[in-house]
Amino acid sequence: MAATTIATEAKTTHSTSRRRRSVEGKPFFAVAFTALFFVLLYVPIVVVILFSFNSKKSLSVFGGFSNRWYVQFFNDEGLQSSLRASLMIASIAMVGALLLGTMLALALERVSSRPARAVGTVSLVPLVTPEIVTGVAALLFFTGLGLKLSLVTVIIAEITFSISYVAVIVRGRLSSMSGEVEEAARDLGCTSWQALRFVTLPTIMPALIAAGLLVFALVFDDFVLAFFTTGVDPQPLSVRIYSEIRLTISPAINAVGTCMLAVSVLLVALSLVIPRLFGRKDSSLDLISGG
Amino acid sequence: MTDTARQENPVADAAAIDDQPAIRLINLTKKFGEVTVVDHLNLDIRRGEFFSLLGPSGCGKTTTLRMIAGFSDATEGTIVLGGEDVTSVQPHKRNVNTVFQSYALFEHLDVEGNVGFGLRRKGLDKSEIKRRVNEMLELVDLAGRASAKPRELSGGQKQRVALARALVNRPEVLLLDEPLAALDLKLRHRMQVELKEIQREVGITFVFVTHDQDEALTMSDRIAIMNNGLIEQSGTPEDVYERPRTKFAAGFIGTSNLMTGMHSEAVLTLESGLSIPLPGHPELTQGAAVSIAIRPEKIWMAEFDPGMVRIPGTVSATVYHGATTQYLVDVAPGVRLTVLEQNLARSRHDDRWTDGDTVELGWKPEHVVVIG
Amino acid sequence: MSTDLQDAVAATLPGAKRQSATRTRLWGWLLLPPAAWMIVFFVSSILIVVALSFGTVNANGRPAFGTSLANYQALMNTTYLTVFIRSLVYSVTTVVLCMFIGYPVAYAIALHGGKYKNALIAALVIPFFASYLIRMYAWSTLLSDEGLVNQALHTVGFTDGVQFLNTPGAVVAGLVYGFVVFMILPIYASLERMDIALIEAGKDLYHSPLRTFFAVTVPATRAGVLGGVLLVFLPALGDFVSAQLLGGPSTFMIGNLIQQQFFESQNQPLGSALTVVLMLALLVFMVFYLRATQRQNRET
Repeated sequence: MAATTIATEAKTTHSTSRRRRSVEGKPFFAVAFTALFFVLLYVPIVVVILFSFNSKKSLSVFGGFSNRWYVQFFNDEGLQSSLRASLMIASIAMVGALLLGTMLALALERVSSRPARAVGTVSLVPLVTPEIVTGVAALLFFTGLGLKLSLVTVIIAEITFSISYVAVIVRGRLSSMSGEVEEAARDLGCTSWQALRFVTLPTIMPALIAAGLLVFALVFDDFVLAFFTTGVDPQPLSVRIYSEIRLTISPAINAVGTCMLAVSVLLVALSLVIPRLFGRKDSSLDLISGG
Repeated sequence: MTDTARQENPVADAAAIDDQPAIRLINLTKKFGEVTVVDHLNLDIRRGEFFSLLGPSGCGKTTTLRMIAGFSDATEGTIVLGGEDVTSVQPHKRNVNTVFQSYALFEHLDVEGNVGFGLRRKGLDKSEIKRRVNEMLELVDLAGRASAKPRELSGGQKQRVALARALVNRPEVLLLDEPLAALDLKLRHRMQVELKEIQREVGITFVFVTHDQDEALTMSDRIAIMNNGLIEQSGTPEDVYERPRTKFAAGFIGTSNLMTGMHSEAVLTLESGLSIPLPGHPELTQGAAVSIAIRPEKIWMAEFDPGMVRIPGTVSATVYHGATTQYLVDVAPGVRLTVLEQNLARSRHDDRWTDGDTVELGWKPEHVVVIG
Repeated sequence: MSTDLQDAVAATLPGAKRQSATRTRLWGWLLLPPAAWMIVFFVSSILIVVALSFGTVNANGRPAFGTSLANYQALMNTTYLTVFIRSLVYSVTTVVLCMFIGYPVAYAIALHGGKYKNALIAALVIPFFASYLIRMYAWSTLLSDEGLVNQALHTVGFTDGVQFLNTPGAVVAGLVYGFVVFMILPIYASLERMDIALIEAGKDLYHSPLRTFFAVTVPATRAGVLGGVLLVFLPALGDFVSAQLLGGPSTFMIGNLIQQQFFESQNQPLGSALTVVLMLALLVFMVFYLRATQRQNRET
């Protein structure tokens, strides 16, 4: 009884900050379980990072700190060209997916014709298609057209896959923006194109940056699509790592993996933080938690 | 009534520039599929006036405003703006500006950037823009907040930015779409006064859309009452309040005691059998159905003048409002009149009448409004 | 003649010759490039997969389109069927495990996360956007015969060592580790949306927290759980990395078979048929999922 009263008070005082107080007592099981979960979640990542600094060529015995595997990574011309290839793929795919995905989001928010709705539905399909299916399809499409597999084919496949992510994030932001804002721009002397250029795009810029960072991280890390669509040389970093893991065990992979983890953690963290810096509550988190 | 309004052809002599209205709507119609939202509207809005489009939601007032602004195409009819047909002119080329209900401020720009937006699009030079923006921020009392972002402003301040952003362009007409609807009551009353003052100061024609009758009455030079896509009545606030021409107008603005009955020889006989003297209306035909409206504050309960129409009744409820007291008085089975009495100092009683009291009601014949 | 007719028809339409003031064809044009891209590179490529699954491999080892059912007939043998069933069993197990792991975690964060809630969600999401491959590789080194886990077991007395890799358990664990976040986030979202008053009312009604949990909280978050089931099952059924790095031929899933057909056997038509089977399985699952969510919508 008393607990209920306290809970109600807590709710009223915190209702603006949308925080909830414990209302069912502390379920120690759930809290302890969650702690364990987070430990297990991070153990493999910590191990990769730790052993990337191992002075020994062992994946189980730690012999002291050393940067030898990083030196080896930066001196390995093959890995370096793969790294450059992955950075290039991610950059171009990011720009392409942002461009096409934003166009798609803008159009779908405003055109409600039957073909537009059909395109809207189709554009969501890649999000629920296993990557292996998309990968096989892309591979057959390129070989069927007689295209030589190369970084170009990887980029095309990655753009196709990423458009949906951008469209979902940007649409989320657009739908929270009043249509009157664009009318206001036209009222103040803009053509519809200028309204887009001077008002709509600047307004949704934080969402665009977040979507771009997320796409970069996803594409940079992506293995399955790259695996199916890449040519022989140079291969994206993830494909390269895959073939190395299967052949030998080399601690240099830990160094590469640490670098990849660092890049994606940084980008994803930024994509979560940037919309908040611009004073908005929504972020790319909505992509997964909101759906 | 509406039929005659439709048949009128208000296209005047184009040479009479001075008499030219700021806005002239001719047979303006908007259909969404089968639904007619605005139905052959004819309306002149004069230069420099504060004009309100008043009506319940869905009456077509906002659609009319959007057609004037150019955000919505007219299905039929013509929009003349300052003597020029703008029906198919794109919004950015029309010399009107809009204050939106949601304010529609540009989140990525600060107050100064928002207000100067239209001037920059026009390509004015920087010092001129700066001067006019500052002048306008001064006018709307936001001089200290030029570099604030919209999200840092209160509702009232956002409202002023939206107003300044539109006014700074010195449009021929300023369109305001329920701009005060999102504000709380106190702020709304303050903004009503300020808005009216600003309008007097800048002398620009204001077209103000609202569903709030008090707002329309207190601010407007003229009001058009809209219902179902038609204008029920237009005129000065006094006109539409004192002399409503339709039942809708009588009921929508303020409270009215509406009674319908048969008229013969200056007496209105209601369905309930009650006879109400109706002197001074020789224009009425004998045996016709007639509706009359009397405002609650025009009915007296004591100190009658000679020449008043007087009928007996029974008080069924009293509601104390502070400055006034409202009485509901049954004058016949099913006929209940609302009476509003001032609680004046000289007539101070604890309760002049209470429920169940038998009273007499009286009104001057000229305060009875006969509707169609 | 025809223009006369058109003019006549046009004249009868009210406002037919009016010029629109709004004229915003811009949005229509914006739709064109992404729509064209999706149709060319996604829709048509999926159609090619379906078409090639009826194809054959010709004499010089190159794939050719056709109308043969041979590839599907080839799949009807015990080797392939075993793999199909194994894939299903692994995926369903993964979904169930994710549910039992994900629910308490989502619950603890949503209802007891306090001011750390957003930070915890970020901490949860960030590693899942980090390379899946690297994370799987990390587990493979941890669980290997000489890995850290076995070393730890050795020091506490299990001198024999335990073989983790090449076991179904390792593959399923990898899948769970890879996709559990897709279970947690929808459940978390539905817990966040749930009216807290429901739990309070439940406590008055059922007295025990556990009974309240099963009578009130679980039904209120059913949509979230269903969403999570979908988001975990789809990638799990198509995965081949976990079975490749943590398992072996005895734990191969349908994804591994597809990968083999394209990169080792070079039998693209058979690989396509396998892909189509995978797509059909997912489609059937989607239909059941949509039915379930519709029922859920009707009930609430």
